[in-house]
Amino acid sequence: MTAKPTSHRLRRSLFILGFILPTFILFSVITAYPMLRGLYISFFKWSGYSGNMSFIGLDNYKRMLKDDIIGTAIFNDYFLVFWKVVLILAIATFLAVALTRMSVKRTGLFRVILFFPNLISVVVIGVLWRYIYNPSDIGFLNAFLSLFTSEPVTTVWLGQTNTAMWSILAPAVWAGIGFYMILLMAAIMNIPESLYEAAGIDGASRWHQFKHITIPLIWEQMKVSIIHIVITTLNGSFIIIFLMTEGGPDNSTQVMGSYLYQIGFQQYHMGYASAIGVLILTLTLITSLILNRLLKRETIEM
Amino acid sequence: MNTWKNKSLLVALILALTFSMLAACSGANNEKPAPSSTNQGSGNGGNGGNSGGGDGGSEGLTGEFEVQYFVGGYGDTWWKHVIGEFQKQNPNLKIKQTAGSQINDQMRPRWIQGNPPDFVYIDGAGSNEAQMVTDAQLMDLTEFLKGATNGDGEKLLDIAIAQPTDYNGKNFTMPLVFGSWGTFYDKAWFKQQGWETPTDFESFMAVSQKIKASGVSPYIHTGVYPYYINGGLVNSAIVSANGGDASIISRMASLEEGIFKSEPVMKALDRIVQIRDAGLIDPGAIALNHTDSQMSFLQHKAAFIPNGLWLENEMSKDVPDGFEFDFIPSVMQDKGEKFVAIPYTASVAIAEKAKNPEAAKAFLQFIFTKQFAVDWAEMTGAIMNVKADLENSTAGPVVKTAMNYFNSDNLVVAPALIVNADVETALQDSIIALLDKRITPAEWGERLEKAAAAARQ
Repeated sequence: MTAKPTSHRLRRSLFILGFILPTFILFSVITAYPMLRGLYISFFKWSGYSGNMSFIGLDNYKRMLKDDIIGTAIFNDYFLVFWKVVLILAIATFLAVALTRMSVKRTGLFRVILFFPNLISVVVIGVLWRYIYNPSDIGFLNAFLSLFTSEPVTTVWLGQTNTAMWSILAPAVWAGIGFYMILLMAAIMNIPESLYEAAGIDGASRWHQFKHITIPLIWEQMKVSIIHIVITTLNGSFIIIFLMTEGGPDNSTQVMGSYLYQIGFQQYHMGYASAIGVLILTLTLITSLILNRLLKRETIEM
Repeated sequence: MNTWKNKSLLVALILALTFSMLAACSGANNEKPAPSSTNQGSGNGGNGGNSGGGDGGSEGLTGEFEVQYFVGGYGDTWWKHVIGEFQKQNPNLKIKQTAGSQINDQMRPRWIQGNPPDFVYIDGAGSNEAQMVTDAQLMDLTEFLKGATNGDGEKLLDIAIAQPTDYNGKNFTMPLVFGSWGTFYDKAWFKQQGWETPTDFESFMAVSQKIKASGVSPYIHTGVYPYYINGGLVNSAIVSANGGDASIISRMASLEEGIFKSEPVMKALDRIVQIRDAGLIDPGAIALNHTDSQMSFLQHKAAFIPNGLWLENEMSKDVPDGFEFDFIPSVMQDKGEKFVAIPYTASVAIAEKAKNPEAAKAFLQFIFTKQFAVDWAEMTGAIMNVKADLENSTAGPVVKTAMNYFNSDNLVVAPALIVNADVETALQDSIIALLDKRITPAEWGERLEKAAAAARQ
């Protein structure tokens, strides 16, 4: 009433500032500072345990170019990214459609069962799957396969180059499906039933309905799923690798995250480890930018 | 029709998923590879007697004195005990104990900032002796150790089982915990099956062939952590191939040029290749962690396992009835040659930037007595780096067997192999590659020489 316009504007800015400032401070302290600090450390030779850091410019990055294990790690990372995206999305979409559009009974129960792996800690998943892959007859997989062969199967799933990465892929996919299934189910349930009814009357088969109604209308969620899988895989594969193989045998299952940990905390080259961290950040950024481009489709409004 | 097909497919998929989940639930416990022992403090009576450090003055030391120690499998009973005794002797000294299971990480900022404690026990995750030496965090103890005596007038280096690690002619640490790698087997089972305990390479190969013929894997190891087989088999083979001269371990530790391609090393690797090519090593071992391999061993799926002296304590909850642990320090020596003990140690040291180095030195001399070594064995179930008589102590049978080996003339105690972390990684990666037939011994040598050359810079 008596307030002047200026003080009103001031109060408004203060109000806005009150929301922005705490977030900005938190972001700076928790995200921006460690990231810049990591970038800074990547130009130094530093063990991570000593008071002395010596500036070595781009040497850590040059070293990366000569390091064979970096190549293996990048390859393994993208192997996981590619197959996780394909398999998780295919299976999650299939299950989501099955549980929403195909009048399966007890969908609630299936939803809980399929979501269950998401609730288990990754540590437990790692231990469980190590037992599945155990090469002796304690191992479920070999024992199961032995039922169909005359000789007992003794495949060393996690110990051979040609099976190790596939064996790590399986639990990663298994543990990932539930979440994306729920996400896609929610999207599918938002599609009005009338669209399917109309299509059915027009003679469209289930497959055509899926292709021309479901997919376009859940595309936004699928896109989010893909990018989320890519980012979490590039940043988080470290845990599953460490639980299953520790990057071995002979570094053949190393991913960038696990190699960073090994270099920084087991071989005491914090500078080089930070450079690997910068590499992960850069690759994640580039990959999600490219994906954003590739996945661009016209958003279809209902 | 279509729906029904999809439904059954779905049900099959769900069944497969749940089944695999249930099947996997049969997992056993997953312990850390840290040496663990639970044999905690059984009254430590009658040891007060000897009051160490003969530095006159009834007042003792003054000022502040800070001790950092890691609390892991060995507990903290012994530390509290010796620090208590030290306090009694130096009533005016203000002693601060900085301890815990995460102490290495908690104290790291202070080491980095140049404000470390005076005295440190280097053990547990996040600690690395060689790295601390590289980073110039530890005080040069070479001269001090030469003349140091304990309260009983014994020279520390005379009563020590393992000598301090040599860093280009200097010592920065004193090993406190002494243990040995070796080959373990079930004595009772061997007796029952009529298998002889191997005493050398020849008899090891012979009995392993016999074991293999009976359908049991002769040798299993921990492929995910290759330092087990390095400690229990490879390093002792290298010493034996060098005619029982353990100095080669120090030459490896100091990264002498060409040492990893030298003739004794190649000869030792050749023996490993013989074992590999005879099919004596469990093919699944490469993918096993310590829990897996030790469970297989306890379940008699394999006859021998390389491990450390903590094994019996670590697995004590899972040992089947009638299982009788026994320990052989090494199996790679020629007939008639001496056994080789490859030790693992955890050391104590004084910070380069210690504020009260006098107290730290006095404390170091104070704790290295035979009485405190017996206390250590009784309180932790492990061996302290002092030649003490454990026969009458309450230490476990494997520890006593091991001590008998260490006291015998028929055994060479090598120095602990403490190398640069990059070279250690190369040692571990390369032995797995060799066992997996990916590389030859010559290529093993190439890899190690390359890693050593990079580390020397």
